[in-house]
Amino acid sequence: MKPSPFEISCPGSLDAAHKALHENPRGTRIISGGQSLGPMLNLRLARPSRLVDVTGLSGLAEIRQTDSHVEIGAAVTHARIEDGEVPDPIPGMLRHVAAGIAYRAVRNRGTIGGSLCHADPAADWVTAMTALGATLLVRDGSGGAREIPMSGFMLGAYRTSMAEDEILTTVRVPRHSDRARWGYYKICRKVGEFADAIAGFVADPESRVCRVVFGSTGGAPLVSTELAQQIATTGAVPPLDTVKTVLRDSGLTLSDVKIHQLAIAHSRAVTEALSDA
Amino acid sequence: MPETLTLTVNGENCTVTVPPRTQLAEVLRDHLDLTGTHLACEQGVCGACTVMMNGRPVRSCITYAHACDGAVIETIEGHRGDAVMDQLRDAFSRHHALQCGFCTPGMLATARDIVSRFDTADEATIRLELSGNLCRCTGYVGIVGAISEVITAKGSTGKHSAPPSPARPAKPFTPFEPVEAAQTPIPTAPKGSVSAEGGWTVVKRSFALNHAPDAVWQLFRDPARVAPCIPGATVESLDAESFTGAVEIRFGPIRARFGGRGSYENDDAARAGTIRGEGDDKLGKSKVRGALRYAIAKGATPQVSRAEVELRFEIDGMLAQFNRPELVTGFVDYILVQFAANCDAVLSGGEAGPVKRLSVFAMLWAVLKARFSR
Repeated sequence: MKPSPFEISCPGSLDAAHKALHENPRGTRIISGGQSLGPMLNLRLARPSRLVDVTGLSGLAEIRQTDSHVEIGAAVTHARIEDGEVPDPIPGMLRHVAAGIAYRAVRNRGTIGGSLCHADPAADWVTAMTALGATLLVRDGSGGAREIPMSGFMLGAYRTSMAEDEILTTVRVPRHSDRARWGYYKICRKVGEFADAIAGFVADPESRVCRVVFGSTGGAPLVSTELAQQIATTGAVPPLDTVKTVLRDSGLTLSDVKIHQLAIAHSRAVTEALSDA
Repeated sequence: MPETLTLTVNGENCTVTVPPRTQLAEVLRDHLDLTGTHLACEQGVCGACTVMMNGRPVRSCITYAHACDGAVIETIEGHRGDAVMDQLRDAFSRHHALQCGFCTPGMLATARDIVSRFDTADEATIRLELSGNLCRCTGYVGIVGAISEVITAKGSTGKHSAPPSPARPAKPFTPFEPVEAAQTPIPTAPKGSVSAEGGWTVVKRSFALNHAPDAVWQLFRDPARVAPCIPGATVESLDAESFTGAVEIRFGPIRARFGGRGSYENDDAARAGTIRGEGDDKLGKSKVRGALRYAIAKGATPQVSRAEVELRFEIDGMLAQFNRPELVTGFVDYILVQFAANCDAVLSGGEAGPVKRLSVFAMLWAVLKARFSR
């Protein structure tokens, strides 16, 4: 179906983008790759009066690295990450996650920033970036910038802690040591479909960071410090029943099927991470 | 406002003037008469519309025309002088890789991309890469065979052959005491359950209200008073047992306005009631019907109540085609939290807040989550 009519603006600068956003914040949506918003527009589930396309903004497609971080511009596509254009903050994880998103034709247009801001519970980057302890750099309409840690960024399905006048510019991923381990596993009915369950795991003995994250819970990713503590101190994959108890006591409404899927995904991710070459 | 853009399609420079909502697929089919590009799902799932844009496959159904200004597009009508595409076409014929031909333009675009990205690819890899292109005739056997043959014939060009697996540090994992990670606040849903009964979704929820059961019941039994507590709801007409009205939904980028009618009945002795209704979202072509049962019980103290709510609903049309039931239940919880806050506000003598903006929700959430988790 044709989307409802809208205006489109392709600002050349962040200031111009903020100006366009400011004119009618409630009727305006920011679009980058449009691979999630596009289907919603075609189904007329979303009917904005204006789209502001930020893919052309200078700096948003850039990739930088510092001693401590890898900085990925919000409009960098999944395919560029899949192809290894982004330096590894932890060996192989970003490429693995990117390669598992939808299909290559979608990855060629979809962007990391768009995926994070869209905040679909079943999306990959919200879970993977939470596991990696990333922070998001956003700019507001008055030129102010702030950093939002991934834990706490997503409030629920399609809801984030970004204000209406804020635009995501950069995803900052901390670099991990060469002793760091990671695992990422998702369960999908069909390759490329929305995941039924996602599990992310990152452990770095050097920085003593260990994160266990569950995605596709219906809302924000679920972080379990309890499981992280247990895995880091024992180096063993927790029994399925332990994981299920944690999920049942999480405060989220999860069906038995969902709990089983999440526990299995977790088990596979951690097993992969802890196995020796 | 129509905009004019220039693009190179199959080697020819083209200028088209199209409105902003135009997709690349429409530019090709309706403006350039290149109807070899097929449209089916129009939501990026089936792959029929896949074309090459600047040498990469893209979905032309979810790629806006404005994003193609200056781009180089190759469709099934093109690829002239492309030896690899010639080989693929030939191999598709010999392997019977098409029957009705509807998926073939998209299949060939994806196949062309697989051949250029992989030097070697086993059947599993090819099937994985093809997963975004649906074929309902062939069972994929001929398609996989054709692509495999062309990859083998091409020989090595130094390209990668498989996505990387996790790099394993050489040393065994040494357990460590982790630094305390910041605890993520868990947005706690109201207590209850979600289940599917036939085509119906049933959400049961229980939540606390900071007022005595009688006062809460007086609010719940009166649609004129309780309706404004439902975020986005308006009552247009009301008599002793029926009503007409509308509910406006804002959920992330999703917008819908369900207008409709319904009936209600209350049992004052049991402090319980039912609202039944159905409505449709004309712009979005979705329909919803359902029933809301509610009962007000005593809470932990005489000044507190528990509301037991059961919402049973069925959605048809575009919203259902979107098919993400867990998001619908998430949305119901999101509405319930605001509803409870509004009820408390009205019972305290205030007014239901204009809780339509999502940002307000974030603040409410922090205040309310402690209570709902009890």
